[in-house]
Amino acid sequence: MNVLRGLDANTRRTLGAIAMALVLLALGSLVIEGFGAPFAIRSMLVLATFIAVASIGQTLVVLLGGIDLSIPFVIGFANVVAASLYGDGMAFWLVCVVVALLSMAIGALNGTLSSFLRIHPLIVTLGVGTTVQGIVLMWTGGLPTGSAPAYLSEFVSIGGTIGPLPVPWVVPCFAVLAVFVHVMLARTPFGRQIYALGSNPTAAPLALIDPHRIVIASYALSALFAALAGVLLLGFTGSAYGDVGQPYLFQTIAAVVIGGTALIGGRGGLIGTIAGSAVLIELNTFLIGLGLAPSTVQAALGIVILALVSIYGREVHVRTLI
Amino acid sequence: MTAAAPFAGSAPARSRGIGAILAGRRESAPALVILVVLLVVDLWLNRAWMLPGSWGTVIGLAGPTLAAAIASMPAIMAGRGGIDVSIGPSMGFINIILVKVLAGDLGIDQPWVLVPVALAIGALVGLFNGLLSAVLRIQPIVATLGTYLVLSGVTLTLLPAPEGAAPAWLKALAGPYSVVPLAAMAAIWLLAKRLTVYDWLVACGSDDRACFTAGVPVTGVRVFAYTLGGLFAGAGGLSLSALLGSADPNVGPTFTLVAISGVALGGVSLAGGRGGFAAAVLGAAVIFLLQSTLTYFNVSSFLLHTLYGVILVASVSLNALTGRVAGRSR
Repeated sequence: MNVLRGLDANTRRTLGAIAMALVLLALGSLVIEGFGAPFAIRSMLVLATFIAVASIGQTLVVLLGGIDLSIPFVIGFANVVAASLYGDGMAFWLVCVVVALLSMAIGALNGTLSSFLRIHPLIVTLGVGTTVQGIVLMWTGGLPTGSAPAYLSEFVSIGGTIGPLPVPWVVPCFAVLAVFVHVMLARTPFGRQIYALGSNPTAAPLALIDPHRIVIASYALSALFAALAGVLLLGFTGSAYGDVGQPYLFQTIAAVVIGGTALIGGRGGLIGTIAGSAVLIELNTFLIGLGLAPSTVQAALGIVILALVSIYGREVHVRTLI
Repeated sequence: MTAAAPFAGSAPARSRGIGAILAGRRESAPALVILVVLLVVDLWLNRAWMLPGSWGTVIGLAGPTLAAAIASMPAIMAGRGGIDVSIGPSMGFINIILVKVLAGDLGIDQPWVLVPVALAIGALVGLFNGLLSAVLRIQPIVATLGTYLVLSGVTLTLLPAPEGAAPAWLKALAGPYSVVPLAAMAAIWLLAKRLTVYDWLVACGSDDRACFTAGVPVTGVRVFAYTLGGLFAGAGGLSLSALLGSADPNVGPTFTLVAISGVALGGVSLAGGRGGFAAAVLGAAVIFLLQSTLTYFNVSSFLLHTLYGVILVASVSLNALTGRVAGRSR
């Protein structure tokens, strides 16, 4: 019964996030001129896709009851390394393989330290992320070089089209990726083990789930998706920038939380996170459209997140732990 | 368990030697060794540091770092994921309010106004964090990250670029009187240690469930911990303003990472229940000395940044490993 009720609540929260995205769209179109214009919708769609890609990994990790603060640093790392290697004349597919392997190694380090040494992932990912950022800074001397291949820029360009469809290729490709990850979470043993471990870390090993394997794999995947976001952002901006990932620290956590995934683990899913990414971009565009400065928008988003988490991200009282 | 022997043997002997400071904290021993080495190196490099006349400036340079670590310590000691990442932005926010808003725009620069305002803002932000994480039960990292964003956003809105000048008496807190904020914090901590709530704090950090069954007001104790940390952040805001000598919206947030690294390095257990004022000061002092040593050798700030990360990971890993070897449960 509990499981059923939990699933119902999940669906409710996901639907709530989707409803919030639609309401904001309607509200924005009514209040701000040009909010509902095709070009604005297209740019919001592309920007939301970047957040959603970076948030896939955060969703996996939060489902485990963890958190990954290294995402912005891995995004910057992938962005700078990919540009630099491509600029040095390496084939782009090889660049992608190298970046993917390196970032997965970073993620696996996060998972290994937090799982085997039982250190809070918050500290581990912050420390590892800072180290990665520092190494990237030292390597580039603070001035990253390199460029993106033209077809990558075309792939993510807001003005890009697929035949008659007015969206760039990145949007349908992300949709396919999202279905793939959703099915992995919902239908495969790996996905179910993530939920099991996140719901009850004590009971899961008794059900023959190897916690270390799941945790390390999830953090590695988280870093992989962060790196993917970094490479996509390289195509979007056209040149490398080490701090390109900075806004994504907060935005990935916010997208996951708005999407209804509980930070205590075991509850939620990817669909909600995608809706959460759309909500974030709409909210951002809406607040800027109202004429607020970016720093004020940041403060307002902080308040919105606190309000949302206090509604459905709360932890249990200590009395229920006895 | 043979590996446990050297740890079990050496730790008590070492802590007995410096008795009162370490109070038998095995976790602080590595940091203490590094501190002594770095101190010798630094004194040799900067021989001017040995002159009593320059002590004020040196302590003033270290002041914000030490204060940020001290301010981060109570929430972490309270356990169950307790952490306050908004300490840095809080110090930055106080800096803006003191130097830009009060002294600059309103022309109020008397110490008996600015000091209570700084402490009150700090304590209120801490109280707010405590209510969010202990009463509303939002995960502390998310709650204080929310506060982090709000504070740094408001700070940048109030003042987009550095400007203004701190009053002379405030600047003296980074010079001849730099020891005053630290001494005040130490006094507050010693006072808190005499209260029952301190014992509750340590007990809750170690085992909040047992505390709850024993009738300890766990929620209230945690709110107290965040408020105390916030109060310390208020003092940190004062010494940050003193050191900067102006209002700078970008400096505050950088202290969060330094503070958490320092606290972890000094031997404050991130699982809660172990640590204290001396441990936080110890860790932060190591980071400060490392900073000044590397700066002396003209090492790039990028390497320094990398080292913060490495120190953070290495010190928590070391803490976890020694904890495991000693056979203690978390």
